[in-house]
Amino acid sequence: MRKWLEKKFALTPQGAKDTMKAILASFLVSLSAYAPACLLLLVIDDFVMGNHRPSYFYVILSAATALVILVLMFIEYDSMYNTTYRESANLRMEIANRLNRLPLSYFSKHDTSDVTQTIMSDVEAIEHAMSHSISKFVAFLFSFPIIAIMLIGYNWKLGLTVILPILLGYSLVLLSKKVQIRTSKKYFLQLRKNSESFQEAIENAQEIRSFGLGRTLRRKLDAQMDESEKLHLRSEITSAVPLLSSNIVMQLSLALVILLGMNMLIKGEISVLVLTAYIVAALKVKESVDSISENVAELYHLDARIRRISDIRNNPVQEGRDEEIKDYSISLRDVTFSYSSDSPVLKGVTFDAKQGQVTALVGVSGCGKTSILRLISRLYDYDEGSITVGGKDIKEISTDSLFKNVSIVFQDVMLFNTSVMENIRLGRRDATDDEVIEAARLGGCHDFISRLPEGYNTKIGENGATLSGGERQRISIARAFLKDAPVIILDEIAAALDVENEKKIQDSLNRLMEGRTVIIISHRLKSVEHVDSIVVINDGRVEASGSHRELLKTSPTYGRLVENALLTENFTY
Amino acid sequence: MFKVYRKLFAYVPEKRYMIFISVFLSVVSTFAIAGAYYYLYLFFDRLLVRGDFAGSGFYAWVIFGLLIGGNFVYFIGVLSSHVLGFRLETNLRKRGIDGLSKASFRFFDLNSSGRIRKIIDDNASQTHTIVAHLLPDIANALAKPFLLLIISYMVSLRVGICLTVLAVAAVLLYAAMSGDTRFMKYYQQALERLSSETVEYVRGIQVVKIFNADAKSFKALYEAVRDYSKFALKYSMSCKIPWVLIQWVMFSIVAILVPFIVLLPGVFSRGPEAALELLMLMFLSGVMFSTIMKVMYVVMYSFNGAMAVDKLEEMYGHMGEDSLDHGTRESFDSFDIEFDHVTFSYGEKPVLRDVSFTLKENRSYALVGSSGSGKSTIAKLMSGFYRVDEGAVKIGGHPLEEYSERAVLENIAFVFQDVKLFKSSIYENVAMANRTAGREQVMEAFKKAGCDTILDKFPERENTLIGSKGVYLSGGEKQRIGIARAILKDARIVIMDEASAAVDPENEHELQKAFAQLMKNKTVIMIAHRLTSVRSVDEILVIEKGRVIEQGSDKELMAKDSRYRFFQNLYAQANDWRVNKYA
Repeated sequence: MRKWLEKKFALTPQGAKDTMKAILASFLVSLSAYAPACLLLLVIDDFVMGNHRPSYFYVILSAATALVILVLMFIEYDSMYNTTYRESANLRMEIANRLNRLPLSYFSKHDTSDVTQTIMSDVEAIEHAMSHSISKFVAFLFSFPIIAIMLIGYNWKLGLTVILPILLGYSLVLLSKKVQIRTSKKYFLQLRKNSESFQEAIENAQEIRSFGLGRTLRRKLDAQMDESEKLHLRSEITSAVPLLSSNIVMQLSLALVILLGMNMLIKGEISVLVLTAYIVAALKVKESVDSISENVAELYHLDARIRRISDIRNNPVQEGRDEEIKDYSISLRDVTFSYSSDSPVLKGVTFDAKQGQVTALVGVSGCGKTSILRLISRLYDYDEGSITVGGKDIKEISTDSLFKNVSIVFQDVMLFNTSVMENIRLGRRDATDDEVIEAARLGGCHDFISRLPEGYNTKIGENGATLSGGERQRISIARAFLKDAPVIILDEIAAALDVENEKKIQDSLNRLMEGRTVIIISHRLKSVEHVDSIVVINDGRVEASGSHRELLKTSPTYGRLVENALLTENFTY
Repeated sequence: MFKVYRKLFAYVPEKRYMIFISVFLSVVSTFAIAGAYYYLYLFFDRLLVRGDFAGSGFYAWVIFGLLIGGNFVYFIGVLSSHVLGFRLETNLRKRGIDGLSKASFRFFDLNSSGRIRKIIDDNASQTHTIVAHLLPDIANALAKPFLLLIISYMVSLRVGICLTVLAVAAVLLYAAMSGDTRFMKYYQQALERLSSETVEYVRGIQVVKIFNADAKSFKALYEAVRDYSKFALKYSMSCKIPWVLIQWVMFSIVAILVPFIVLLPGVFSRGPEAALELLMLMFLSGVMFSTIMKVMYVVMYSFNGAMAVDKLEEMYGHMGEDSLDHGTRESFDSFDIEFDHVTFSYGEKPVLRDVSFTLKENRSYALVGSSGSGKSTIAKLMSGFYRVDEGAVKIGGHPLEEYSERAVLENIAFVFQDVKLFKSSIYENVAMANRTAGREQVMEAFKKAGCDTILDKFPERENTLIGSKGVYLSGGEKQRIGIARAILKDARIVIMDEASAAVDPENEHELQKAFAQLMKNKTVIMIAHRLTSVRSVDEILVIEKGRVIEQGSDKELMAKDSRYRFFQNLYAQANDWRVNKYA
């Protein structure tokens, strides 16, 4: 049972244990709810049928009933609501913990806002379900059969009259869910289409305006809205009809009990008391089914969220030994890779980046050179072949020991909402303030940091929102200086967006690369002419590699690139 | 609450009768169901008090009939409110579409496309729920308590008083649960903090891993999680006593009353009447409690509804702000462009300050400056995208606002770096620029813009659908299609931005050639990034910090110690930079 809860509702072991307690409490409460009705029957037995009992009997029994219910309700409240918040805290921390151990590639493949959504709103939904629905629903699954058996056991005819319409009605509800899923599919497809059209209309606002397409677009979208309204209504009605019939069937229970019961009463098969008891039972059972059906609806909507949490849980965590890396040469052998299964990006890439040398990757955009850097940085994991650092496969060593030796400077820089000082110190946590400032100097950011309102202690906003692109780039270079790792992986920033910044960044980069093993992507061919080795990537394969001079002879792609670059450079309007 | 509905219904004048149908039917159904309760009472009265069994079959059928009838009528009521609610949703969206087609560009600058769409999507569908589900529920929830009380007084004065007291107590206890607003504020704060820490944590995981950093961000998250659950727990504890009391009274009303009945024989008789009263009280109080609970939900949801409408109306309001005025002038005297003391800002901080300059017809101009200097803004103001805060943008001696929208559209063409394509064929994406152009002209535009190599990539050529599987276009390629559009449009003034070349280097030369085609015999304003390429334009404007600081030909500006010369030198150095220079 505990395992089942854990799996079914994505709870932690502790949470599942607490939920079991809550279920027990709910179960007892739902049974005790019948006790006052029994008391009422005793009163009727006394007042109407004339089977008198002494007053103290009623007083004691009433007091006991009321007290037991009160106590049970307090226990239920504590076990439902209070444990809920403990569980939601545990669950959030468990997911956060788990995330920390997932491979980097998980985050490359999943949108961060989706993952955040899971920690926030998915857990919140489970939190709500735990405090409102899970325990009540499971408790009902236990208490309903008990009540049903008791009702049928005492008088099977009346018992079945109470229970059968409820069961029948409930199966109609389940049926309606199935119908709803089918009919609403079409509507959901339409909704997605609407969303896309809206997105397009918003993104293309400039074009729409400047080509005078407003009216056409409005007509098209309006028609689309009318269409989806029709679909929506149709899907709603088809799923509502079974619900209505279910309600009617359930109402039958009361009417039939009265009809059948009166018949039996007149025939003398049962007493007035028994009839009253069954009518009260019919009302009570209907009442509890009504309140449960709302809970069931909530649990129904929980499925997708639970799946997202399980997805995080079931994703394999990153394995790998801690290894001392002494040799920093990097080799790729027949590496293949694809982002989605049907279109391979790398189709067998082989090259070496020797220790202490600069290796540049060049090629047209979309050839796969950025993917290669991502694989070496383990932002994604390669499909086949091997990537080794110092002879050790990067999939087999722990990311900790890999990243101790590798600095990554990419175009998109991740910054935190703390001071500039702390953001640079991320490069090496035990660095002193002086060391951080020295790294900032080397990275070419000391000047602009000094101009900030509070210098190195200035907070830079969410993801460094207050800094320009060039400044962010230089902070990431300063981090790399501080880290002082022997291997540097570098995606040169897009050229010429801002001449002043670019010059400064270039100066910093040259200092950074000195004496290290470097793999670089350059967007400007000329800048890598002098590196030790240039690898030309074409359509997911290595076309050629060697020095600038060699490649001019051996690689047609390289020749084309160089020629094109020259034409571009000398062009004037 | 009623204000929300009045606001909502203003959007669906054509279906307003549905409100009355829905409310009327819901009230009718409430009466039917209350009637069923009353007949149940009459039935028990006969059964328990009078011992008269004859004709009870009639009661059974009446109860059944009223319940079924009530449910059925309610269903129709819900259906009509759904028709109304769906129409409301549709109309709110249409209003959004209308707003979008008229919204100012400043609006699009300040709001991301995803956010705009989400606000319209989420809130419009939320309002439909409010109307579709809550309208009948409200009618129901308001009518039911009174009917229940009436029935209870019909049973007996004692039952009536008891039920009245219970109802009042329940309302008070519910109010006690939601009373402390201070808690809610703390709770909201804790939730917001949790949310932002989570975002920071998840976003930062990659960096944290790459830098082997310790779990400091983890600790912050841990604290946020703990604080949040602490507040939630506190809140839940504050609700504990009222909530348990309500539930307790509702469940054990019989057990609470029985001792009074047996101990106070003067007030209550120990006869069948008392048993009947107790039975009815148990039954009516159960229905009463669940009805009051429903009222609470209704209040809460209409509150959410009010927020949804407010959000939509606020955004629709923003859409209308700053939109451009258009005049009636249809033709241009000349195509000289003049900035007359223009000041402009997107938000608070001015981007352009008191900018003045004049550009002559049929000449080419380049805007040069570092990113954020304001050169893109100048280009956008010329295209008539924004209303300037002060001063005027004039073409042919008249402010842009005096011309009709059509005149501006037809005479100014622009190609910016983020060319957007529609999800239709490549051909259609270009042909839309000029509806009077024939097929040959469109194909000619493709040719001039150097798009042939793009078309060659796809077997369907110009009929290839943008956005379908396997159709990928790089930034430079999209921009070339944008140039083809502009060539087809054949406007007198051309405004262009060559920036995307930088991220798409192997396409850059193709792009340069396409731009050169577009510029022939036009008044041209270009935003230049590759400084070598602008040396032969007629004049260069150097922009810095929202001002034009230099204007002149390449020769003139290079001859003196200008900012332009500084940029050119820097550019040459950057361009000449080599990795491993030391080696």
